[in-house]
Amino acid sequence: MKDSAFASGPLVGLVTIVVTSLLLVASAKALWLVVPLLFGIILYYMLYPIVHRLVLSGVSRDAAAAIVAGSVTILAVAVMVPLLPWLAAQSVGSEETFYRYLEGGRVLIDRTLAGLEKQFAFLAKMDFHAEMSKRAAEFGDTALQKKIAETLLAAAVSLPTMLLAPFFAFFFLRDGQVFKQLVTRGVPNAFFERTIYMFDRVDATTRAYFQGQLKLTAIDTLFLGVGLWLIGLPGAFGIGLVAALFEWIPVVGTIAGAGLAVLIAATAFPNDPWVVYATVGLFALVRTLDNFFFIPLTVGRSIQMHPLPTVLMVFIGGAVAGIPGLILALPLMGVVSAIVGTVSGIVLDPRLRARNRWAKELLQRRVTADFR
Amino acid sequence: MLGFLKGRPEHPRLSQIRQLHLFATLGPRELRVVDGLLHERRYLEDEVIFDEGEEGQALYVVLSGRVLICRPGAPDGGRIAEIPAGALFGELALLEGTPRTAQARAAEDCAVAALTRADFSGLVETHGAIASKIALQLARDLGRKLVARHLTLEMRPQ
Repeated sequence: MKDSAFASGPLVGLVTIVVTSLLLVASAKALWLVVPLLFGIILYYMLYPIVHRLVLSGVSRDAAAAIVAGSVTILAVAVMVPLLPWLAAQSVGSEETFYRYLEGGRVLIDRTLAGLEKQFAFLAKMDFHAEMSKRAAEFGDTALQKKIAETLLAAAVSLPTMLLAPFFAFFFLRDGQVFKQLVTRGVPNAFFERTIYMFDRVDATTRAYFQGQLKLTAIDTLFLGVGLWLIGLPGAFGIGLVAALFEWIPVVGTIAGAGLAVLIAATAFPNDPWVVYATVGLFALVRTLDNFFFIPLTVGRSIQMHPLPTVLMVFIGGAVAGIPGLILALPLMGVVSAIVGTVSGIVLDPRLRARNRWAKELLQRRVTADFR
Repeated sequence: MLGFLKGRPEHPRLSQIRQLHLFATLGPRELRVVDGLLHERRYLEDEVIFDEGEEGQALYVVLSGRVLICRPGAPDGGRIAEIPAGALFGELALLEGTPRTAQARAAEDCAVAALTRADFSGLVETHGAIASKIALQLARDLGRKLVARHLTLEMRPQ
């Protein structure tokens, strides 16, 4: 069914934005649930091909879902048991590493500002170097340190709720079809085929988005890892993976990932600014490759929305629900857009509404036949 | 507590779909897979199942009752065919997303099982053998309809 068969236009776009924003606000109130749910969805799309393979080899869907989700739960527990105390200890005792990288970043900024002051006399008159250095030192000593410690502690506290993620994934894998049938059972006959179409669109959108993002993460990790390794950064593939994971956060993710790599480069090679420039260049190159080749090949145009509401939605997501809001904003908007588009298509189709009225009338006649 | 890990009980519809021509060549396990994909719908006499010109999303198998295929507004009530219990209609939707060529309407109170195009495509990927068996039965059914139509045209007075 072509999209042109459905209502679209500014009103549908506006309703999509409003509904997505409301859902993001609601999700901000229950982040403890939304975050494992988000991971559950990501896990579902990661595990789906494995379940698919098991089903193909003759295992029933129920058993395949139980085997795969059960294995992931055991693995998650095995990883989490030593990780939890380690993370808690890191949040308190990682000051030395934190200060080392912060100092590396501070020295880089310091040298860059000094260089700028030499080039531009008006900056020297403003005492730009001293003022900015003072502000950067204040930010690093207080706000940033507090924020990072808080984030690490919050991550340690919320880790146990992450065990819900494989639980959610198991039910998505096992009961996805049953859920679809349960929902469509409540839909009037006249709207049945349109509802089926809506489910397919929602599934196709989320599948394309999340599976595409997973592939993009793998590609970015490989390219950034190889690039950073050639530059000579320690732990190149680890940094590449973390930076690629940052890419899940639209707009600001690239900057955050690149910033992290630059901090490490500046700390590891304090007297070689070319390493920092090469790192920045590498991130710019990979981002360009992403935009022109990798994103069209992986995520594609899974979220078919105008760039303006897309960027707007990302910022609304970040403002109301923090990092989970930033990650959730786009797939949520894609799903809401598919639902709003289809529902408005049904509501605005006079023939479908007439068929539904006719079905109701037939039922009314049937149940009141003995009144006549 | 771990009751959710148990398999689900057999759907009572299973024995019914075993009798259907479309699924006649499927084994018991294969039938269970297909049964999990079917959407059962009930229609009152005269209720429209789908309209001419709509883009089809599903194939329907009549479980009980009769379905009328017609073109409203055409001469003689536009009646094309009557589909009895056990037979299927709207099968072209499974093969491609072309518009429906006629209207389907319940000739009497009926129950139908719908197999959607998306689910059939999924079946082709996950259970190729099941999808092939259904496709073969579908081809046989289409062939029979084609021959019947050809004979009707031949017997029509010039």
